[in-house]
Amino acid sequence: MEQQSGSSQSPRSPSSQPYLLVSVTDPVKLGDGVQAYISYRVITKTNLPEDLSPEKIVIRRYSDFVWLRDRLFEKYKGIFIPPLPEKSAVEKFRLSAEFIEMRRQALDVFVNRIASHSELQQSEDLRTFLQADEETMERLTSQETGIFKKPADLMQIFKDVQSKVSDVVFGKEKPVEESNPEYEKLKHYVFELENHLAEAQKHAYRLVKRHRELGQSLSDFGKAAKLLGACEGQALGKAFSELGAKSETLSVKLQKEAHQLLMKFEEPLKDYVRAVQSIKATIGERANAFRQQCELAETTKLKEINLACMLTRSDRVGEAEHEYNLLKAESEEATRRFETIVRLMNEEIVCFQEQKTQDMGIGFHEFAKGQARLAHSIADAWRSLLPKLEACSA
Amino acid sequence: MITAQRSSSGSLQSPRSPSSQPYLSVLVTDPVKLGNGVQAYISYRVITKTNFPEYQGPEKIVIRRYSDFVWLRDRLFEKYKGIFIPPLPEKSAVEKFRFSAEFIEMRRQALDLFVNRIASHNELQQSEDLRTFLQADEETMERLRSQETGIFKKKPADLMQMFKDVQSKVSDVVLGKEKPVEESNPEYEKLKHYVFELENHLAEAQKHAYRLVKRHRELGQSLSDFGKAAKLLGACEGQAIGKAFSELGAKSETLSVKLQKEAHQLLMNFEEPLKDYVRAVQSIKATIGERANAFRQQCELAETMKLKEINLDKLMLTRSDRVGEAEHEYKELKAESEEATRRFETIVRLMNEEIVRFQEQKTQDMGIAFHEFAKGQARLTNSIADAWRSLLPKLEACSSA
Repeated sequence: MEQQSGSSQSPRSPSSQPYLLVSVTDPVKLGDGVQAYISYRVITKTNLPEDLSPEKIVIRRYSDFVWLRDRLFEKYKGIFIPPLPEKSAVEKFRLSAEFIEMRRQALDVFVNRIASHSELQQSEDLRTFLQADEETMERLTSQETGIFKKPADLMQIFKDVQSKVSDVVFGKEKPVEESNPEYEKLKHYVFELENHLAEAQKHAYRLVKRHRELGQSLSDFGKAAKLLGACEGQALGKAFSELGAKSETLSVKLQKEAHQLLMKFEEPLKDYVRAVQSIKATIGERANAFRQQCELAETTKLKEINLACMLTRSDRVGEAEHEYNLLKAESEEATRRFETIVRLMNEEIVCFQEQKTQDMGIGFHEFAKGQARLAHSIADAWRSLLPKLEACSA
Repeated sequence: MITAQRSSSGSLQSPRSPSSQPYLSVLVTDPVKLGNGVQAYISYRVITKTNFPEYQGPEKIVIRRYSDFVWLRDRLFEKYKGIFIPPLPEKSAVEKFRFSAEFIEMRRQALDLFVNRIASHNELQQSEDLRTFLQADEETMERLRSQETGIFKKKPADLMQMFKDVQSKVSDVVLGKEKPVEESNPEYEKLKHYVFELENHLAEAQKHAYRLVKRHRELGQSLSDFGKAAKLLGACEGQAIGKAFSELGAKSETLSVKLQKEAHQLLMNFEEPLKDYVRAVQSIKATIGERANAFRQQCELAETMKLKEINLDKLMLTRSDRVGEAEHEYKELKAESEEATRRFETIVRLMNEEIVRFQEQKTQDMGIAFHEFAKGQARLTNSIADAWRSLLPKLEACSSA
């Protein structure tokens, strides 16, 4: 979790590397019925000077993480904000042990990605999140409703960007869009990727389900075979019983592997989907910034022309000049904002590709290894049964 | 196809070719869909090769349909009480499944097995009805088939009633409810109890074995869907990660095919033998019903005969003019009673032989089925393990690139 840039070198212990380690742990169900929710312990260990204490433990809930993500999204345009796990889930699944664990892991990954990002880790909102007491946190999260982007707003940005992409493709109109072929290629890739990833993730999840169903069937069959064995007796009965016992053993292995498949492959794939959605949000921000820059540049030009025409009438010139200067400053600021986003995005994309290649590489490896391991142990189990079956039929 | 050998009793040794063994082998093959719509049905070619002297020739080919096999089974059930008549596959099936290639093949195999079991049973193979079934032309067969409705055909409802009677009598005896006309044979009671318990457990096991086949297929389908999605993803991504996705996708599709194949093997080599076992036990239950009927008849006639004997003595004492008539009725009744006793004892004798044979055959059949099951599973999972392991170096190459 250590950052690479030396800008936050700790003066307190010059011999030790600066570090910021966060752990999201101990999910606990609080509240009742429909208002029930999960709280997590967030443990921060750090030697960064801006932080008051080397270790801090706070209690946070899902909406606190959402607050942090929304603040970072507003402040650090151009950076791909790490994604959050989805909010809602099917009611009866929402509080299952598996769901809670998956969510905890995803939240832990979320915070640590922020903590290890050279820019985001310096965020004051991150420090607030990691240290503020629960009452302060509650106040802040209830304040933010309405100011920051609701899912509906984000959706609208996506739709705007998407429709503009297709409009450009179809030559429908000439919108205020960057004419940057490399960037167009990137946008096209991101949208196509999201579709294919979502498909692959959906089928990966089904694969997990099928493993579980096969395991359940094997277990049911095993029980039935054992009952049959008890009823039959003698050699045939023994064979049925052996078959049944082995089936039950293998059912357990299948369930374990299904869980592994979920955690080590399907979840990383889902994480990839969310990351791509975060990139789409950034693409939307870039489009907004570009539009603002263009609009302000145009307005500035018009004001400039207006001002030039006004030199003949002296009583409004001062006011017009003042307005023009303000506008020019705003226009320059908008250009700066846009260029910052472009610069950051370029860095982010490289970083993202590397990280994703590494993450998915591990995901695939785990998938193939897990499958091979499962298949191998199933093969051994059945083969070990063959001599016993032969003995029974002999 | 099983080549049946003649009974070792030598009573039917062929005089024609004293050097060759007598044989009767049958093949049920070439299923063909005939007719249209609701009236569509499957016809099979039944090829008989034999040197039995009672048969018309060394080879005969006839066309038969499912109801012809049912006719044969019903006739044998009527004539050979005490023998476990080989079971038939079920009549109806879900409409859309009824003409699927898999269903047709499963039925063909089951019918082939049915006829060959009859042909290799040393009593049943001598049946005239079998000869008719294997040789008669199609019009004759159709005529016979339509004649039998109502006379021989035990409708499922009737069989059901017989089972219920036997079952209720078993439980009545157990519960000490009444004293029905039942054999008081503890060994036979044990056997009946075993048969009923076996049927329940077998049906459960077979149901779950069938579900297991279904789950294999579903897993295979999911793997195939995932493979396709992964390949599309690979094409979209490009570079090392794209290549990895594509490899993963291709391997998943390959393994999906293996899973589907194994699901089919599982069905044919394990689930079907299990289903065959269930049907065989149902056939035994039918025979148990016949034995109960024969016992009841024997008892009723024996009682009626005793009463008639007492009545006759009374008439003789009073020197009634009805004595002659009564004597005649008594003699007839006595003959019937002795016949009923003979019938019952035949059933008991045959059943004892049949049970021994059945246990041996079942142990052998199920032994083979288990072996196929375990072997098939081992083979499948081994090749799955190999496939994934062969992918690992490629994935490593992709992630390090």
